[in-house]
Amino acid sequence: MSHDAQTIVHIENMTKRFGNVAAVDGLDLKIRAGEFVTFLGPSGCGKTTTLRVLGGFEIPTEGRIILDGADVTRLPPNRRNVNMVFQDYALFPHMTVGQNIAFGLELKGKTKAEIDARTRELLEFLQLGGFRDRTPDQLSGGQRQRVALARALAPDPKLLLLDEPLGALDAKLRGQVQVELKDIQKRTGKTFVFVTHDQEEALTMSDRIIVMNGGKVEQDGTPEDLYFRPQSRFVAEFIGETNLISGTVRGMENGSVLINWNGVDIHGAAHGHRPTEGSKVTASLRLENVLCHPQKPANSNAIEGRVVNRLFKGSRTSVDIRVGDTGEGALLKAYLDPGDASRIRDDRLWVNWDVSHLSILQA
Amino acid sequence: MSRNTRILMSVIYWAFVVYLFVPLVLMVTMGFKDSKFIGFPIRGWTLDWYSEIFRSAEVLGAFGYTMAIALSTTFLSLVIGTWIAAFLGPHKFRGKLLVFALACMPAVIPGIISAISLRIYIQFLQIDTGMAAIILGHTIHNVPFVALVVMARLATLPKSHIEAARDLGADQLVAFSRVTLPYLKPALIGAGVFCMLLSFDDFVRSFFLGSYQPTLPVLIFAKLRSGMSPEINAISTVVLVITAILGIWAERSMRRMNKGTSV
Ligand SMILES: Nc1ncnc2c1ncn2[C@@H]1O[C@H](COP(=O)(O)OP(=O)(O)OP(=O)(O)O)[C@@H](O)[C@H]1O
Ligand SMILES: [Mg+2]
Repeated sequence: MSHDAQTIVHIENMTKRFGNVAAVDGLDLKIRAGEFVTFLGPSGCGKTTTLRVLGGFEIPTEGRIILDGADVTRLPPNRRNVNMVFQDYALFPHMTVGQNIAFGLELKGKTKAEIDARTRELLEFLQLGGFRDRTPDQLSGGQRQRVALARALAPDPKLLLLDEPLGALDAKLRGQVQVELKDIQKRTGKTFVFVTHDQEEALTMSDRIIVMNGGKVEQDGTPEDLYFRPQSRFVAEFIGETNLISGTVRGMENGSVLINWNGVDIHGAAHGHRPTEGSKVTASLRLENVLCHPQKPANSNAIEGRVVNRLFKGSRTSVDIRVGDTGEGALLKAYLDPGDASRIRDDRLWVNWDVSHLSILQA
Repeated sequence: MSRNTRILMSVIYWAFVVYLFVPLVLMVTMGFKDSKFIGFPIRGWTLDWYSEIFRSAEVLGAFGYTMAIALSTTFLSLVIGTWIAAFLGPHKFRGKLLVFALACMPAVIPGIISAISLRIYIQFLQIDTGMAAIILGHTIHNVPFVALVVMARLATLPKSHIEAARDLGADQLVAFSRVTLPYLKPALIGAGVFCMLLSFDDFVRSFFLGSYQPTLPVLIFAKLRSGMSPEINAISTVVLVITAILGIWAERSMRRMNKGTSV
């Protein structure tokens, strides 16, 4: 087995079955040290199961977990250097904040002085200075979340696992804690493995997102990759809002793919695959990548259309545009900036896009 | 509610309170009567009955004996009951319901029947009547209550608490003693006090399983046969006060702890 210094954990062809159900099916990936990796996917896709296998709470049916070069597949949670922040925080109710944080350190056999110093350091680091002697029931949701984080960070784990740790917070606090958490990850340089089903949260915080569906990896890449270059229809639809464009390939033109979309000729990027002429393809085009013009822009292949629906949404206006002059035509969703919204007339406008933004999806 | 129904309700309420407390008040009052016989009229008051029972080797001996039995019973019942709850709670196995039903049966069998069967049983086991036999009998009777109370509490312990402990380096034993046990504390206090009271109060089992040394209830019974005297009232009042203090303490500490753990 090759082990490069960068890889902190290698999930080797891991399958976990509960009865006949494969919660995780042949997952194989390497996580690099210092990465903020997020498992993202709909409910039941196997995110929690993957995290629990990493934490030692489940033993995989097949495959291995290599942590920092050592096989830990069958080690119980207390014997692997990995800590977890639970969704409900799981703070010990009969212990103070300080005792909660010290728990893992005591069990590691640290001296009283070491424990005190480390606890103090973490309390300060997470702005919990005045809360050391409070019990968890005397804290707010956000404070509890930070205590859970401090407790998990205290033993200095190789990997920090977080299972939807922001799920219990209200929307406003959530946004704030997302920023804090990302900041903490940067400052500690720890490897964070984060689980969420909230795509916005994943995009905000992660260095790398692994989109899962039905126990399998759907796509693995940076937030930008996933957002602008989704490889499957599932990813395109799961992350953000998008136009799904189905058409027939007419051929290649200047490195881009020419597609017939309900009678309209449009250009798109293949991003690696080679669609054959005459084949049916689906492509994704983000709403904000659709550029709208009141007049036909010079030397571009903009297409003409008309607005069939306009929805004012405050900072921008969302529009449904029918393009092409055939009766049926094709529908495109787009956003208008406040300036454009007044300049663009409903009965006639032109739309175009950067060719690379129209990504052709794998069948 | 109309005015009349409200008045009627409060009359019923107070009538019930009187019905509950008059016997107790009478009993306590008679303990201070300066006469050999229980009953009205009361011509003089005295504390002699109290000084007498606090000097009586017989009463003090019975009290100590009963206390020792109650404490041992409570300890054993808590250990066994918690063990059963912890074992039956999380594990799924065939016949779980049956094991559970069997474990709970002693709580619902009529006292006299269980006393007789225990008496036969200890003979069979060649255990002499006396303290060990009484403790055995009381423990069998109390374990189901402990198991039920602990199991109910255990059901509310989030699985993630144990997992968090394991995650932070605790093996199963450490997780149990440092997370599960503290979480069970209010249930254990409640169940423990209940065991103390059940054991302290028990007559039938102690009577059948005891030897020459009587427990306090058995002693009171013996004294009753030689006529009602205010001495019995004094003993009973002392028992009443101790029981009440114990009950109130248990109730308050359980309430305090439950508040702290409802995170
Ligand atoms: N202990 C278990 N026993 C049986 N089936 C299980 C168990 N744990 C998980 N599963 C099943 O495995 C699948 C994946 O579950 P998992 O909890 O990993 O999903 P998830 O992606 O975390 O979903 P969510 O977003 O709802 O938390 C589900 O179909 C679930 O029913
Ligand atoms: Mg989950």
